[in-house]
Amino acid sequence: MEEKFDAIIVGGGIAGLSAAMTLARGNARFLLIERGEFCGAKNVSGGVLWGSDLARLVPEYWKEEGGFERFVNHRRLTFMDEGSAFSADFKSNHFDEAPYKGVTVLRAVFDAWLAEKVQEAIDASAHPDESFIATDILVEEILKEDGRVVGIRAGEESFYANCVILAEGVNNLLTRQIGLEGDYVPDDYVAVGVKEVMKLDRARLEDRFQLQGRSGLTNEFVGAGSDGVEGGGFLYTNTDSISIGLVLGLKDLKKKGKTPYDILNGFKAHPSVADMIRDAETVEYSAHVVSTGDIRALPSELFADGVMIVGEAAHLLLNAGKAIQGMDYAMRSGILAAETAMEATKLGDFTSATLSNYRKALEGSYVLKDMRSFQDAVHLLHQEQMFGPIPNMICDFGRQFFTIDSEPTEKASKMLRAAIKRHTSYWDLVKLGLKAGRSL
Amino acid sequence: MSEPKKLTVAERLGLVNYRNQGRADARAHIEVDTSICNTTCPHKCTTKVCPAKCYTLDENDQVHFQFEDCIECGTCLYACDQNAVTWKYPHPEEGRGINWSLG
Repeated sequence: MEEKFDAIIVGGGIAGLSAAMTLARGNARFLLIERGEFCGAKNVSGGVLWGSDLARLVPEYWKEEGGFERFVNHRRLTFMDEGSAFSADFKSNHFDEAPYKGVTVLRAVFDAWLAEKVQEAIDASAHPDESFIATDILVEEILKEDGRVVGIRAGEESFYANCVILAEGVNNLLTRQIGLEGDYVPDDYVAVGVKEVMKLDRARLEDRFQLQGRSGLTNEFVGAGSDGVEGGGFLYTNTDSISIGLVLGLKDLKKKGKTPYDILNGFKAHPSVADMIRDAETVEYSAHVVSTGDIRALPSELFADGVMIVGEAAHLLLNAGKAIQGMDYAMRSGILAAETAMEATKLGDFTSATLSNYRKALEGSYVLKDMRSFQDAVHLLHQEQMFGPIPNMICDFGRQFFTIDSEPTEKASKMLRAAIKRHTSYWDLVKLGLKAGRSL
Repeated sequence: MSEPKKLTVAERLGLVNYRNQGRADARAHIEVDTSICNTTCPHKCTTKVCPAKCYTLDENDQVHFQFEDCIECGTCLYACDQNAVTWKYPHPEEGRGINWSLG
């Protein structure tokens, strides 16, 4: 392989595979390098892949064998205190039709499937023998000549390309190596995700969560589940398992001196959660750093001469309280970088002048548009009140309102006032309400 | 109703597959200068935040690190603000590191 590729993609996660798929369809010659034994072997997510970009990448993917676990037609947001759970629950048949607006995934399964689809696209392209997915290879160095990126080095071997697409994930060592991100990234820009996949007989799972066929539930939790630490819990249904876990703000986790695995045990033992996972057996435990969506974490630039940064390597992710969107951002950014690379091939120019079009395209897409418009929401979720006093107040009110105890009953407004007084104050609530109103 | 069983970290990691699991001389992908942890670090936070408990405290409050259980999550890369952690990806053949079945 002495020849020069149109592009080298570092990382076979969703961002890298999406770039690869786009390049294969465009008949480009590329090399995708994945350090894991197979694509997905090193990847972890919660995980829901939101949005409909997957249908863009793999048309009619829902007719395919494998890939995703379940499509989401039922969403629930739960506020919890020590013993109660108060939920906003939304289920709608408008989610039932493909292309779905969200699918649950297990990354070692999903990414491996996506890699197969990319290989099929390579095989169907004009140069089936000139593009490769290479696994089990670690890229150690980004090669530069005269200040521009020209290739990569893996062990003793060097590979060259007109441009390199860095899709290495949130632990973005190569992005740091070429100076687009500093060596020290503050801990308040990231969180720690911990998760267990718990097996449950498919029929029981479907009965328990009222699922039909491949429909699925996503449930996010705010409050006691994170044991006073900034963040929240999640429970997602897979084909015959449950993904259950927490995303905990790293800065606050450090400050509170708590351990993620103990918090996970506490979350699983919460009465409302314990009822959902009863008799399910843990088959895998996993953990990964995840960006919080703070735009200050973005690399100083998303491109340079001969290189573009995609997915979470660029900290492209948004958690604005509605959903944790990361895999869809990875997908779209991978697609846009690949399109820019093909445009650059046509122009014969791989300098920043052309590669800056990647950033422009990203700015014009939901990725950076939403990251920009929801920054206030990202910061709102950092507020101490959001994971203690507010959920406690909501559950306190719920407990009063839903309790019928053969005694004269207070009006709901009085119950609410009492709950507010016990857990927060009107003034705090007004301030928070205004912030929330503006930010969401 | 019985509460779900509280799993220990060891039990959880027992469910995980590592690369080169049988190899006794695997090359470490993370190097920790514990002399920093044990002198100037005011918080020793990695002993708490690491989801795989690769960082432990002994009875004299000294930090110890072992890379064998590492699941490459990156928490210590971001958590250490004392410049004590040198984080690299494990070498596919000579290193250890994770091999997820589900992810």
